[in-house]
Amino acid sequence: MFYDHVLASLLANNKQWAADVQKAEPGFFEQCTKGQAPKVLWIGCADSRVPESVVTASRPGDIFVHRNIANQIHPDDDSALAVLTYAVEHLGVTHVVIVGHTQCGGAAACHAAAQSPPSPSAPDTPLGRWLAPLTDLAREGKMGPEELVEANVRAQVRNVVETAVMQGAWEKGRDVWVHGWVYEIEKGELRDLGVSVGRGDGEVVV
Amino acid sequence: MLHDHIIAQLLAQNKEWAQVVENTDPGFFERSAQGQEPKVLWIGCSDSRVPESVITASMPGVIFTHRNIANQCHHADDNINSVLEYAVGTLKIPHIVVVGHSKCGGVAHAWATAHDEHPHRFFANWGDLIPFVKAGSALERWLAPLTAIARAQPDLSVEELGIANVRAQVLGVIKSKVVKKAWEEDQELWIHGWEYDLATGHLRDLGIAFGPEGEVAETV
Repeated sequence: MFYDHVLASLLANNKQWAADVQKAEPGFFEQCTKGQAPKVLWIGCADSRVPESVVTASRPGDIFVHRNIANQIHPDDDSALAVLTYAVEHLGVTHVVIVGHTQCGGAAACHAAAQSPPSPSAPDTPLGRWLAPLTDLAREGKMGPEELVEANVRAQVRNVVETAVMQGAWEKGRDVWVHGWVYEIEKGELRDLGVSVGRGDGEVVV
Repeated sequence: MLHDHIIAQLLAQNKEWAQVVENTDPGFFERSAQGQEPKVLWIGCSDSRVPESVITASMPGVIFTHRNIANQCHHADDNINSVLEYAVGTLKIPHIVVVGHSKCGGVAHAWATAHDEHPHRFFANWGDLIPFVKAGSALERWLAPLTAIARAQPDLSVEELGIANVRAQVLGVIKSKVVKKAWEEDQELWIHGWEYDLATGHLRDLGIAFGPEGEVAETV
């Protein structure tokens, strides 16, 4: 059926949610229309099980978000770079969190692919190209799939740190941090990997 | 201080949330870990005021999510195309919703650029640090297609441009290789355009919908 109950129930849930918010906090939506001032940019996975605002019990307006397959920051990807630019330079977020997660399908696929020798030809699908760097990372170290999830987060923290956006912000003296977290789906818990980078950290080995 | 109160607060809120969920629905996380079967792919804006799972009161596992500046679907973008490939090709998600919203900064910037106006008046109260998009930046490139839509339809107001944008991105999705292939293989897949009104908190179906037989005249 074209318009099945899944969508109808999302819209119905939304109406109820909006009514509940309006009742509990009458000025909330009007306040939202005035602008946004999130302090955090979340770069996470598209995985349905990791909705940033639900798992952190955050409100609309708290977290600026980019979610893609396996929480990647590719140096030549305009989509993620545009988000980073807008978040850091326009909105002035003070924290960029890269959030990987256990049971990541993208990471698992790369781990599996890394068990075979690399193909002589370059990947020819968007997903293949998108996951090529992560597959390379999997090949570099002999690690299990969950170790790859962590190594991936560290690599993306490095990628964010090296962007012109972050370097430029730090040159201007902006107090903005980059953090790496892993969300453990089995427990619903976020774990800080302790790899945070801030202004003045200079050459950081993450 | 390395971890100011914001980060500590988020982590603390998460711990509390996880406990509440486990108490209310024991085994929820264990079941979550077995896999995901979302029925919806949400292509929305990165805007902090439009968190898809909060505004639809959805639990983790319901909505596969891609959020970027101004909910774009660019033809040659590996980022969104890999999301589509995984969502449609691997997870066999039957519904894609492209969701725009009122007061979108990306839309406002594109409108202002197209009308040779300084965007400042849109952002005066918005708390934005700089009200202009740097020439030659990734953000400028990213907003180019939306700016082109604004130029092509100069009579549209900013909010009307936002709606036109949703329709254009829906068309972008249906033209993707992934969607075309899915329909060729008789896969159940529909693409819809929605709008979120910040002023009311309401999601609205714009009545833009496409399925295997083409555009669907009526919804629901």
